[in-house]
Amino acid sequence: MMTIPVHVAPPVQPAKAFVFEPGGFADHSTPLILDCWYVAALSAEVSRNIISRRLLGTDVALYRTLAGESVAVRNRCPHRSFPLAKGTLDGDILQCGYHGMQFDPSGRCVNMPSLPITPGNASVRSFAVLERGPLIWIWMGDSDKADEALIPDTSWLHDPKWKSVSGAFHMKSDYISMHENLLDQTHFPFLHPGAIGTPEYARSKLDVRQEGEVIIIDRVLKNSPPPGVYGVPTGLIGRPVDRYSKARFATPALHVAFAKIVDPSPPAGAQSDYRFNITHIFTPETNGAIHYWWFNSRDFKLDDKDADDYLHAASAKAYLEDVDALEWILDVVTQDAQPQFDLNFAPDKPGLMMRRVIYDRAAAEANT
Amino acid sequence: MLKDNLDLVVRAVTPLTPRICEYLLASPEGGPLPSYEAGAHIELLVNPPGVGATVRHYSLVGGTDAASDGRQAYRIAVQREDRARGSACIHETFKVGTRLKASAPANHFALDHRDGKSLLIAGGIGITPIFSMLRSLVFRKRHFEIVYSGRSRSEMAYASEVVQLGGRHAQIYCNDESGKQLDLKALLAAQPADCTVYICGPAGLIDAARAAATALGWPAQRVRSELFTPPPTGEEVAFEVVLKQSGKTIQVGANTSILDALKNAGQFPLFDCRRGECGLCPLPVLQADGPLVHRDRYLSDEEKASGRTLCICVSRLKGSRLVLDA
Repeated sequence: MMTIPVHVAPPVQPAKAFVFEPGGFADHSTPLILDCWYVAALSAEVSRNIISRRLLGTDVALYRTLAGESVAVRNRCPHRSFPLAKGTLDGDILQCGYHGMQFDPSGRCVNMPSLPITPGNASVRSFAVLERGPLIWIWMGDSDKADEALIPDTSWLHDPKWKSVSGAFHMKSDYISMHENLLDQTHFPFLHPGAIGTPEYARSKLDVRQEGEVIIIDRVLKNSPPPGVYGVPTGLIGRPVDRYSKARFATPALHVAFAKIVDPSPPAGAQSDYRFNITHIFTPETNGAIHYWWFNSRDFKLDDKDADDYLHAASAKAYLEDVDALEWILDVVTQDAQPQFDLNFAPDKPGLMMRRVIYDRAAAEANT
Repeated sequence: MLKDNLDLVVRAVTPLTPRICEYLLASPEGGPLPSYEAGAHIELLVNPPGVGATVRHYSLVGGTDAASDGRQAYRIAVQREDRARGSACIHETFKVGTRLKASAPANHFALDHRDGKSLLIAGGIGITPIFSMLRSLVFRKRHFEIVYSGRSRSEMAYASEVVQLGGRHAQIYCNDESGKQLDLKALLAAQPADCTVYICGPAGLIDAARAAATALGWPAQRVRSELFTPPPTGEEVAFEVVLKQSGKTIQVGANTSILDALKNAGQFPLFDCRRGECGLCPLPVLQADGPLVHRDRYLSDEEKASGRTLCICVSRLKGSRLVLDA
C-alpha cells in the first residue's frame, strides 16, 4: 500500500506566535483584528464577473447571484486549492475551473462531477456580506459574532442630500499607521501644504475623548481663513470663517471626519453653514498592505461639476501624499536594521489611544 | 489516525442526564484552541480497551448559555450507547486530566448567513450542534425557531438552556408528556419561503423532516442535516482481515472499522473522508465467508451487489474472514 503526500498534515500549532503584553500599543506587527465588519469592495466592483481580493490575509472570491445578492466565498477550492474566482458562474452556482466542483452561494458543494455522489464534507467557507449604499461589508472573523448592528454608519454616502467624490488606493503600508495619520492633524500644513492645513490649525488646541472603542477629536478654529480644500468649493477663500471639525476613529475599518465651515457674516441670501463628511475606509490586505477607499461628501452645491472636480483633485493629491509618506515609513520600519523606539508628543495622544484600542481588541481576540 | 493532531486534556466532566455526560476539553498548556463556528465538530481518537484506537465525531456545543466558550475549550456531550463501545469507553475512561488526541474543528453543517429565518430541529443527543447554532442566531439577532424533541425531559441534555436562550421561539416536545406532539409537516408548512431547516437527531427524525419537505414541494437544499458515520447497529461482529499482497492477518473488533484496524496494525491504506463518500478507500475483495455490509454512499448498487469491493472506512463483514487484495 502507498500513501500520498496531501494526507501528511503537520500537527496543528496553537496560534501563540505573538505575545501580548498588558498596556501595549498596536503597530504593523500586531495580529489583524478579524471580528469586525470591513469593506470587501465597492458595490460597483462586484458583478456577474467573479473577482478575487485578499482581505485580512485570506483570499476571497466575490460575485453576484442572478437576483443581485453579493456573495463572498473563500477563493480556494477545498479539493486542490484552485482559485475559485478563476472558475465560472452557472446561474448562482460557482464552478471551480479545475475539476468542475460546484458550490452554492452558502459555500456548500452541490456537485463533484468526477464522483457518483455529492460529498457532504466539501464545503468552501462563505462569508457574511451586507451591502450599504456604495459599500459591501464583510465579516471575516467568527461568523457567530457577525452582528449586523456593528456595521458603522456611513449613511451620507447614499443620502440624496449629499454629494460625494471618491477614490481608492492599494497601498503598501499598515492600517495602524493610516488610522494614526488621520487622527494626527499636526502633519497637515507640512505634508499637505496649502490644501488642508494651516499653521494656525496645527497649533489650535484639540479635545480628544474616548467613547467605548471610538476615539473622537474635536477642534474649533474661529475667525481664520480656511485652507483651499474648504475655501475653494465654498467660495470662502481668504475670508475669516469658523471651522469646526470632528475626527472619529470609528472602528478598525473606518475613520470619518465631519467638518463644518461657518461663514459668520454670509451675504444676503447665502447659506452660513457648509458641511463636509470625509470617509476613510481601510481593509488590511495583510499586515503590510491596505485596500483604501475614500469619499469626500458635501451637503451643498450638489450639482456643481467644478466643485466635484476640485474636491476630487485636491483630495486625491492630499491622500496620495499620505500614501507615499506611510509607504516610506513602513519601508524604513521594516528594512532599517537599527531598532528605534519612536518618540511621542502631546499631539500624538489620539493616535496612541487608537493604538491601545486596537491592541486590546487584538489581544482579546487571541485569547477568547 | 487524524488529519491534525491536537493535544487536549479533559478539564471538567458533568453528567447531564443518566446517559449523557458533558466533557470540557482544553489545551494542556491553557492556550487558545483553533477557532470554530456553530455546527462544527471535532474528530476524537478514543481507545477502548481491547478494541484499538478508533475515531469518533462529536459536535461542539460551544457553551451552555448566551456566552461562548470561545477558544478556551471544546465542549462535547456524549451519550452512552450500550452497543457502541466508543461512547461507553468515553464515559468509563475520560476523567479530569485525561489526555486526548483530536482533529482541528471542521464544519460541514454551517448556518447559511443568507437565511431570512432559520428553523432548528433537534432530536435527542442531536441537540449538540443545534445548541451552538441557537447561540449564534440569538447573538446575531436573527429570525429563528427551535424545536427540540426527546423521549423524556430527564433524558434531554440542555433542555432548560434551550428554553432559557430561545425564549418564546423555543419549543420542547417529550414523548412521555401529554400534550401536543411534534407535527413536522405542520411545522414546515408554517415556515416562510426564506426559511432554511437545520436538523440533527435520529435518522428517523431526519428522514421524516425530509419527507415532509418533499411533500410540501420544497427544494432539497432547504433541509440541511449533519451526516456522520452511521452509528453502530448492534449487529456488528468481529472478524479477521487477510491482506493477500502483504500476507498479513489483522483482527477487526466489533466496534472498530477495518480502516482503523489496518492503521492500528501499521498499515497505510488510502482514505480521506471516513464517511463512505470520497471513494478513496475501497479495496478489492477476494474472499468473504459472510455477507458484506455496505454502509457507504460511494459505491453503486451494482458494485455493492458484486461483492468484489468494499469501502473499508464504514463497511464491514458479517462473517469471520475477509481476504482483501492489498
